[in-house]
Amino acid sequence: MRKIVLLLVLAAALVFAAAALATETYGGPRYWYPGEGAGSSWGSGWTRNAFAKPSSGPETTVTFIDNSSYGWHATIRNQDMVTYTNWWTSQVKKGHCNSNSGYHWGGCYVS
Amino acid sequence: MSRSVREEETTVARRRRWGRRAAVVGAVLVVAGVVTGAVIASRIEWSDNAAELDAALIEAEPIQLSSIPAADGLPERGVFAQVTSTGHLCVSDAPLRSPRMGGGGCNPADDPLGGGSISASLAYDGGPAIQAVTDARLIGLASGDVATVRVLMSDGTSRAIKLKRARVGSDEYQAFGYRFRKSDLRKGIGPAAVVAFDEDGAEIGRQPTGIGS
Repeated sequence: MRKIVLLLVLAAALVFAAAALATETYGGPRYWYPGEGAGSSWGSGWTRNAFAKPSSGPETTVTFIDNSSYGWHATIRNQDMVTYTNWWTSQVKKGHCNSNSGYHWGGCYVS
Repeated sequence: MSRSVREEETTVARRRRWGRRAAVVGAVLVVAGVVTGAVIASRIEWSDNAAELDAALIEAEPIQLSSIPAADGLPERGVFAQVTSTGHLCVSDAPLRSPRMGGGGCNPADDPLGGGSISASLAYDGGPAIQAVTDARLIGLASGDVATVRVLMSDGTSRAIKLKRARVGSDEYQAFGYRFRKSDLRKGIGPAAVVAFDEDGAEIGRQPTGIGS
């Protein structure tokens, strides 16, 4: 029994590790109220940040925040089904997303 | 009742209690396992969909629809469209020579305006305080029945946005790209809404927007 549990835990850890290497889903997927935001972990390898929803309508923002001035970079705000941005720099940064309107389902991810 | 009989009854009762506890713990573990599995599955599916769109955007050919003129020492940029294999039409604001390095939005290709007459993306660098914004731009698509587009500013004034006929596949749209004046941003004046009018001057679409969180 212990061996089976250990194997299951190991398999789950491997799945998460593999997914984490490519993409970090840092906000949801869940329901969002207006004004709610989320932030990813810090990293120098993140170049893309997106907020994906099942349909267009709710207004969302995605941006990158650097770890020195904490300023916003490559910010995009729209009502599209997927709001996305790219910031190509090796600077340490984190993805940040915000829901600006509506009560809706969606999730934010960086890669 | 003899002592040994009482002890035997106690032992049986204890076993029954443990059996019930084990059943409850087992049921809780099964439910927790199912819920955890469902959450993991939805997150993996979410990541897969995200990765699929990311990969499709790398493959899809960018088509330049319009441009954002150079101003205030900032270079000209392009407004690009990409029709992806995932069935999306993505419109982005990007450097002219690196059309895949920008940002914007994606909608289903059969409804790129999200059921409205206009779909706009506000893009900016710096902030979130408006005075810290170094460059702010507005891009998007409008339907064919839109005659003019204006952006309403936070001080109550408005700016005219030029429209340019654009074809994506077999569909006709009007594309636009606009750069906000640095002098406005320095004064704390930013966009509040993008409004579309028909040829009679009647408002037929409005999308609120703004700089900051």
